Amino acid sequence: MLEVSGLKAGYGQIEVLHGIDFHVNQGECVALIGANGAGKSTALKTVCGLVKPRGGTVRFQGRDITGASGHEIVRAGITMCPEGRQVFPEMTVLQNLKLGAYTRRDAEQADDLDDMMQMFPILRKRARQAAGTLSGGEQEMLAIARALMARPKVCIFDEPSLGLAPKIVAEVAETIARIKARGMTILLVEQNSLMALKLADRAYLFEVGKVVLEGTGEALQQNPDVARAYLGD
Amino acid sequence: MLELVQQITNGVAIGSVYVLIALGLTTVFGILGIAHFAHGSVSMFGGYLVYVLVASQGVSLWLAIPVALIVGMGVGGLIEFLAYRPVRNANHINAFIIALGLTMMVEGINLQLFGADQVVIPTGFDRVFEIAGVTIPETRLYVILAATVLVIAMTAFVEGTKTGQAIRAVAQNRDAAILMGVNVRSIPLIVFAMSTMLGVAAGVMVGSLFAIAPGVGEAMVVKGFAVLILGGLGSIPGAIIGGLVLGVTEALAAGFLSSAYKDVIAFVVMIVVLLFRPQGLLGGAK
Repeated sequence: MLEVSGLKAGYGQIEVLHGIDFHVNQGECVALIGANGAGKSTALKTVCGLVKPRGGTVRFQGRDITGASGHEIVRAGITMCPEGRQVFPEMTVLQNLKLGAYTRRDAEQADDLDDMMQMFPILRKRARQAAGTLSGGEQEMLAIARALMARPKVCIFDEPSLGLAPKIVAEVAETIARIKARGMTILLVEQNSLMALKLADRAYLFEVGKVVLEGTGEALQQNPDVARAYLGD
Repeated sequence: MLELVQQITNGVAIGSVYVLIALGLTTVFGILGIAHFAHGSVSMFGGYLVYVLVASQGVSLWLAIPVALIVGMGVGGLIEFLAYRPVRNANHINAFIIALGLTMMVEGINLQLFGADQVVIPTGFDRVFEIAGVTIPETRLYVILAATVLVIAMTAFVEGTKTGQAIRAVAQNRDAAILMGVNVRSIPLIVFAMSTMLGVAAGVMVGSLFAIAPGVGEAMVVKGFAVLILGGLGSIPGAIIGGLVLGVTEALAAGFLSSAYKDVIAFVVMIVVLLFRPQGLLGGAK
């Protein structure tokens, strides 16, 4: 469904991605794992059009979307739930959710809104509150719900557990599992490698801007090198 | 007491003009981080345009004003596209220099097109209403009403439409707005068109209440930025309250103390407010 090949990207003089390949099939949950600065988040941002690629291609449903603008990529069906949540702090929870559906013109938005409130009851409670006043965990739930409001074909999660208390991290993991169970295609970047590998059907290990290992979530969990370096065994 | 109410009424009329100027400045600043100094001169261009249409071309005021508002939207969009867009990703000082140059350019264009004489838009509004002992000239009443309608319309646009919400989203987090599918290249155009339209409305009000002359636009933009700082940078409610506070303070100062010192007194009030609330009346702590 999503195929990335030979992708290169960077900031200023520095190249961060030195030609990476990965793909995500329909209905799959794929995780990108690796140390801080390995290029996982840059890979996502390049796919989403926030960072301009310097080489390689991104294909989505057979269409070449390399270098398309961010808003065009959202319209194509790829939505990202960004690192650090990035909710609109001065807008209400409801306004944030409605912005998630910005590109949609269909009549089912109200139903989806209700669906999200069902899935995340805390959002219904906080609906008229400014998003900036929510706790970190609540903001993460809002960011996830806001991304789903776009009815994406692929939903990308960038470091959803970052900066959250362990109890909330478990909640986030459970939420992503539920979204996956609904049949959503997911691309996940996580520093919490264990959480990522448990969720993922397949995973790619990033090291300094290259993909060094690829396999099922289970296989990577059992790989002795991965276990030693990333799972803290 | 009656005198006080009278002065406050006068202040609200002048304050309405400041509100409209400041609304344009605050939305442009809040979303693009640009201190758009040319705003006052562009607004006066709109005032001049209505004057020329009405006084020399014999066009009805009720046709001239909408024409000027539409021209204002176009001019605003052009300014964004030709002047500010090229320096969008450059150092902030570049947009600052462009803003200063643009001010001189627009002032020069106004001078070339409309001359150096001061002009008053012939509205034909010469009735004076009396409501419970407070007298209010027809023009002032219309200015207050028109400003109220424009503020309500703008609030409805920003709060009630997808585009308006996208504008707020871009102001708060540009990257996240892109991820929502907002085309962030079209937002500045819309913001400038809207801001300039409000500015032109203010220019028409200045031309009807007082007079337009070279330098008036620059004086208005200084007042507009004062309102912005008073109300809180980038805050829409702040611009509304700040504009009214400045207008009423000036009117009270002119009515009870001295009209020669009204600007001084208004700025002293502003400084005192900022001593206690450095972020402005409605600005968030940042």
